[in-house]
Amino acid sequence: MSEAFSQLELPASVVERARAGDLAAFEQIYRRFEKPVYTLALRMLGDGESAREVLHDAMLKVFQRIDQYRNDAPFWAWLRQIVSNEALMRLRREHRFESEADAELIVDGAAPPWVRADSLALERALGTLPALTRSVLWLYHVEGYSHPEIAGMVGKTISFSKSQVARGTARLRDLLVPAEVESVSCRTQTSLAL
Amino acid sequence: MSLPEALRALPQQAPAQSVWPQLAAQLAAQGRARAQPAARLSTRRWRVPAALAAGVLLVAIAWPLRQHKTPGPAVADATVSLPAASISTNAANSANATSKQSTDRSADAATRLASLQDRSQALEHWLRETQRAAAPLSGQDLAAAAEIEDMIALVDGQLGAAPRDSEVRLWQRRVALLEDLTALRYSSYKLAEKTGVALR
Repeated sequence: MSEAFSQLELPASVVERARAGDLAAFEQIYRRFEKPVYTLALRMLGDGESAREVLHDAMLKVFQRIDQYRNDAPFWAWLRQIVSNEALMRLRREHRFESEADAELIVDGAAPPWVRADSLALERALGTLPALTRSVLWLYHVEGYSHPEIAGMVGKTISFSKSQVARGTARLRDLLVPAEVESVSCRTQTSLAL
Repeated sequence: MSLPEALRALPQQAPAQSVWPQLAAQLAAQGRARAQPAARLSTRRWRVPAALAAGVLLVAIAWPLRQHKTPGPAVADATVSLPAASISTNAANSANATSKQSTDRSADAATRLASLQDRSQALEHWLRETQRAAAPLSGQDLAAAAEIEDMIALVDGQLGAAPRDSEVRLWQRRVALLEDLTALRYSSYKLAEKTGVALR
């Protein structure tokens, strides 16, 4: 479950020890947040090697700046912000900051396909979205950032953030429906043959 | 199920290879992190009073070597002849180093380095000699031993790339870690002696 990022609290004593330069405290922080950080980076960037590099860079930045962390916000929120920014910066550098082209938004009354799709199919569909669209979709739906916050992070308007979420959602629907239809069709053919 | 719920239900991923070793090396190289001081490790993890540990260490180094009459008299002599003060704490090592500073700093550093290397070799020798005769470590002690061994490996990595003026500091660190490991193993060694339970 990706939700785990925001569920991880860190005892203040660990942060204090890290501030004092205790290597074991740094390792404790790393171990606790390795998976959520990597998962967030992977969802935004779409490839494991880049996600690993973001994990490294973001963690190093957090450790180097731990003196700047104030206890008035949860540690995970501070860390998550750094990870998101690192991933977005990488997308900019790699010229992957183009958004999804206008897609026709069709809303019908049928149950959304992700209700029945398995996690592998959903991951695969997610992976085909443009990086920026996928990132906005993930930051909004999973990490719980608001549209104004996302707009600020990506340097675009609030409308842009909203449209990316809508387009990403529509695209996922398109990608998952044919798979379902194909799957149903295969099952029908098999039963006819029998 | 809504899309947010479906996305949140996706499994978390882990990198194929941890980046922690790289981070630890970088933090150490930048002087941002250091391993826990030896005294804190000893008291927190194994609850061995520092004074007792110092005395125990002396026995730990000297006694098994005499008992087993192990080969390598040069190493054994070096081990036994080391002053007690040098194996008690890091602070004692630092104070010792400070007091030895003279006008000829480079000669002093070289002497200090040689002494630390001898000490390191002697401790490793004892650890090797007593490993099979020791009782199995408890889960907690095993984890602590693994952590110390990791730290020693980290120091070894740093020693490979360290400038000459950092060598003494790193060797001091290595010796302190080996002393921690020795204190840890000594308990299981003595336990094996009493109960007859040893590693096979």
